[in-house]
Amino acid sequence: MVSDTISHLLRDNYLIARLRGKRSHLLGRQQLVALSESKSQTEIIGLLAEGPYGPELSKLGSESSTIETERAVRLGYAESVMSLIRASGGDTHEFLIQYRRRIDAYALAGLVVFKAQGKTWEDYLATRQPLALMNEQELRRLYSLDDLSTIAREAGDRHLVERVKGFSMTEIEGERASLVRDVINGWGEERFFKYINEKLSGPDRENCLPIAGSAIDIANLTIILRSKIIGASGIKDHLIPSHWKLNQRAIDQLLAATEVAQALDVAASHEYYSRILTGARQKYEESKSLSFIEVALRRYQLDLSKRIFLSFPYSVGIVLAFLILKDNEARNLAAVLAGVAAGLPTDELRSLLALQD
Amino acid sequence: MVCVDLSTCPTFWASLGAGLSVLLSAIGAGLGIGISGPAIAGAGVERPEVMLKTFIATILAEALAIYGLVVGLLSIFAIPALTTIEGGTRIFAAGLTMGAASLGAGFGIGAAGSAMASATAEKPDIFSRAVISLILAEALAIYALVTALLLVFGAK
Repeated sequence: MVSDTISHLLRDNYLIARLRGKRSHLLGRQQLVALSESKSQTEIIGLLAEGPYGPELSKLGSESSTIETERAVRLGYAESVMSLIRASGGDTHEFLIQYRRRIDAYALAGLVVFKAQGKTWEDYLATRQPLALMNEQELRRLYSLDDLSTIAREAGDRHLVERVKGFSMTEIEGERASLVRDVINGWGEERFFKYINEKLSGPDRENCLPIAGSAIDIANLTIILRSKIIGASGIKDHLIPSHWKLNQRAIDQLLAATEVAQALDVAASHEYYSRILTGARQKYEESKSLSFIEVALRRYQLDLSKRIFLSFPYSVGIVLAFLILKDNEARNLAAVLAGVAAGLPTDELRSLLALQD
Repeated sequence: MVCVDLSTCPTFWASLGAGLSVLLSAIGAGLGIGISGPAIAGAGVERPEVMLKTFIATILAEALAIYGLVVGLLSIFAIPALTTIEGGTRIFAAGLTMGAASLGAGFGIGAAGSAMASATAEKPDIFSRAVISLILAEALAIYALVTALLLVFGAK
């Protein structure tokens, strides 16, 4: 434990100083609110020209689609994270590789959904996760496969194959597509959680576990809720077997709920997650969408990250905290750009943003 | 003076003290610079405007080596005048005090300097407060310097 701290102090202080400096350049609440009030994408791109997203956004033409703009934001985010990866060494470098493996699951989920919807490889390529470890060649090979089990076996492991059993490429659409995406993303989150739980120790584990743990718990909650929305059977087979605070008893209670609203009441009364899911039923009934859960999780992880930044700085937790803040900034920015392009009312657009208090 | 038994030889003890003062102080300074330097570089990459002022950590760490050198040189100059074993052990104690204190202060300056550089990169206006812990770490070596000088000047 002490040796971990000393190794971070001696080896990672360059990286830690850099990411603390980068944190000061993140877009603040006021800036994002101001951007959400912009009249057009061009105005937003102009406002961001001097910042870290400037180089990628400046390559966009005046007629750029929302996908291209979002891709530019993701590239700006990826470049920022890659510069940290290049500056890292030892265990911290390994940690960042594991973080990128987690993103592989997001790339895979996107690939499956795009493929199932009959979109072209080029369409997928424009939206793929630039931070994923899987390269373009591997993704292209996966995109040529037609069977979900085969894709899961080639890109994942037997756990993923087991979890996607029962889904067929021909019927992945609407909420079912979101469910498949949640199952695959959850598998990636579980791998990252297991790495933190089993390989890290001391302050490293202590700081990272709440972030990775809440991600798998909320992934399980979302899988259960979405399965109930579409009336899918065999929900247990799709769940992540690992858990953090949402234990087996809580999962059984959620599974026993007869409808989504009832399950949301169970989740909102959970001793730990009540802090982020209060009023969940009402939010679901107003929006008829589960996207508020993702925003609630992001807000919670932002709070955790903020606390990590205020605590003892020499742990890998500070690296994960920065990645959470940076990822959230990119997602918020992508939501603002897409929302402004779609002409969403400002209030509706702000409800999609996870902003720090 | 020709020594028959090293354990009672003032020149031997005084020389050892002078050597330890310079050696341990140099190690302390190296630790301070080695730990705080990368953080200052990292802060400079993201915020070039703070690099110059955060450089104070390496300057304070370098000062430790100078303190060690001062005590070491004064000890060497005092050796020809030594006539008793008490004088030799006083200079040895002075060297050890200066060296060991510099080692501790070096680690303190390194850790505090690294945190100060990181914090300043995030919030530049925090520098004037963050630098206090660095100065307190340096003060540890100044206490030792005063003690070591009194010991050296009292040696006969």
